[in-house]
Amino acid sequence: MPVTVAASAARTCLGDDAATFAALLRGECGVTDLRYFRAGALNVRRGYHIAGPRPERPGMAGRWLAGCVTEAVSRARLEPGCRVAAIIGTGLGGLRDVERWAADGQPTRPDQLHFAAAIRAAAPFARTAITISNACSAGGYALALGQDLVELGDADAVIVAGADSMTESMLAMIGRFDAEPTDRIRPFDSGRAGALLGEGAAAVVLVREGAAAAPALARLLGCGLSCDARYETAPDLAGVCRAMRDALDRAGRSPADVDLVLAHGTGTRLNDPTEAAALREIFAGQRPGPLVTAVKGAVGHTSGASALTSLTLGLHSLRSGMVPAIVGLSEPLAEGAGLRFVRGAPRRSRPRLMQVNAFGFGGVNAVAMLEAA
Amino acid sequence: MTDVAVTAWSLHVPGTCPAAVVPGLAGPGSEVEACSPDRAHELLGRKGLLNKDAATRLALCAVHSALGLRPGQGRAVGPPDPSVAVVASSNLGNVGAVTDVVAMVRDGRRKQISPLAAPGVSGNVLSSAVAIWFGFGGPALMICSGAASGLDAVTAGTRLVRAGRAARVVVVGAEPADEVAAALHGLREPVRDARPPLRQGSACVILEPAGQAPAAPLLTPVPGDPGESAGETAAMDLTAAVGDLYGALGVAQTAVAAAVVGARAGVDRVRLICRDAPDGWRAVDVTARVSGR
Repeated sequence: MPVTVAASAARTCLGDDAATFAALLRGECGVTDLRYFRAGALNVRRGYHIAGPRPERPGMAGRWLAGCVTEAVSRARLEPGCRVAAIIGTGLGGLRDVERWAADGQPTRPDQLHFAAAIRAAAPFARTAITISNACSAGGYALALGQDLVELGDADAVIVAGADSMTESMLAMIGRFDAEPTDRIRPFDSGRAGALLGEGAAAVVLVREGAAAAPALARLLGCGLSCDARYETAPDLAGVCRAMRDALDRAGRSPADVDLVLAHGTGTRLNDPTEAAALREIFAGQRPGPLVTAVKGAVGHTSGASALTSLTLGLHSLRSGMVPAIVGLSEPLAEGAGLRFVRGAPRRSRPRLMQVNAFGFGGVNAVAMLEAA
Repeated sequence: MTDVAVTAWSLHVPGTCPAAVVPGLAGPGSEVEACSPDRAHELLGRKGLLNKDAATRLALCAVHSALGLRPGQGRAVGPPDPSVAVVASSNLGNVGAVTDVVAMVRDGRRKQISPLAAPGVSGNVLSSAVAIWFGFGGPALMICSGAASGLDAVTAGTRLVRAGRAARVVVVGAEPADEVAAALHGLREPVRDARPPLRQGSACVILEPAGQAPAAPLLTPVPGDPGESAGETAAMDLTAAVGDLYGALGVAQTAVAAAVVGARAGVDRVRLICRDAPDGWRAVDVTARVSGR
């Protein structure tokens, strides 16, 4: 049963998905000084924040998530009587609230670790809300599970969403790993100096044929999943390639069919060369090969929201025929030789088949293939 | 449609043994008391355990037993097997690690934080650790849906099999009961004015296409809405028996059901239910294919 994307929505430091896409075409970067946290104590000074309240409020990720879900659901115009499920991907869930509870005595409850309440608020008709915690590929994993749910006939429509705020503990690890944390993310740049966190949320509505009144934005052809099963934090080329091949197999497409890659591109020492090597391996022999772009230089690393944010912005490219340049990339890394990174100015193009990459801590990889409707 | 069967199970609740949890249970290991996380090396061997948190250790123990490995027996080494998937369930597995890191930041001891603590601040440390330990290269996912989490994991496992994403799915649930986890758990809404305390423990079930295992019981998720079964009374209440296994509960229920269906006269189908006001209602049926003797 073909699965289509009936609607999508995203929220980043640059605004909603339309505003973010417009800013990407202008080459804007949403990084600012780090809010909410004591930069000196963490050794991290910058971050990609959604414009919002100060001081920090509890449950922010859930609020952004509910906002995106409300928007996507209203755009999808689901048929009455649809069996709707929700799957939410997150890297850090409600851990920020646990941190504030333990360190500052701010009240919380264990059910605030996940997003059932946010889904109840935004889509009370959804029968179940499953929260999966899968690091930086959580949104991609949620997308794959959502596609399975529709294809297996277990649901007519699935709200697939992702959201993350920042945690002090994750920032502390960034500050610990990088002696001098970067001032911004430079995906695939030879001078890249690491990742910074971004606040963000995104939601898509997947449907079987006839379950939504809105015209399809794209067909979700297939999602590939793998776990490197090698290292706790470092990526592994074999595992990443396995997910890419799985996605192509499930989509029934060959590498030659891929026109555009929305890369994970975190700007870290290890991710970018591994991802570049995987793309070179998968697309070896393709001339000219797909365009490669990435959004984290503009919107930060939004962890569990990252895959669906890339997907939502990629859908804008499928529709508009404009592929934004990689914000923050000036000199591509050596390992990327031969890849068609979009640099400097947006590229006019009419991509048909788009690949969305997401890789996470623990070696969890998710790759999606979407085709213009 | 591919039916999915439970082909192996284990229950690992430190301080007790499977036969004490499920009276009358027999079979290998049923009378062996489960080791605590700090003694996990007795089952798993020492190598690689040093920086593993309690929930991860408990999960590794449960998977080790479900795979039929003997105490101390090394796991297979070689390239990761892409046909095996992991679905883990835990809500509080890393809250202790996260709050420890924050306490050090607040004390100005940032530089003393070990880089080896990095995996622990990510929510999915447990599922990835299981995949790495045993070399499972298929999908690895971690579910944190509160009280519903364990049955969500079992249901997700059946879908990975049905969708052809794995030939074998290792579903594992684990919760620690450290000070932070227990305090946070204590903030759950009470049920009838009471809330059994958090109990550390883990469980594992292995799922495969039913065609591969003609005698193994079938798993069938039950679609439905919260509140449908408000009046029902449970024939067996694991939480009353051992304490609240929380994210591990649904997996433990599945393990217990797999042990008793078809093995006891008159018990051919068991309905498992996890529910909680904020987290929702989930149900899974476990059905014998060999009738009760």
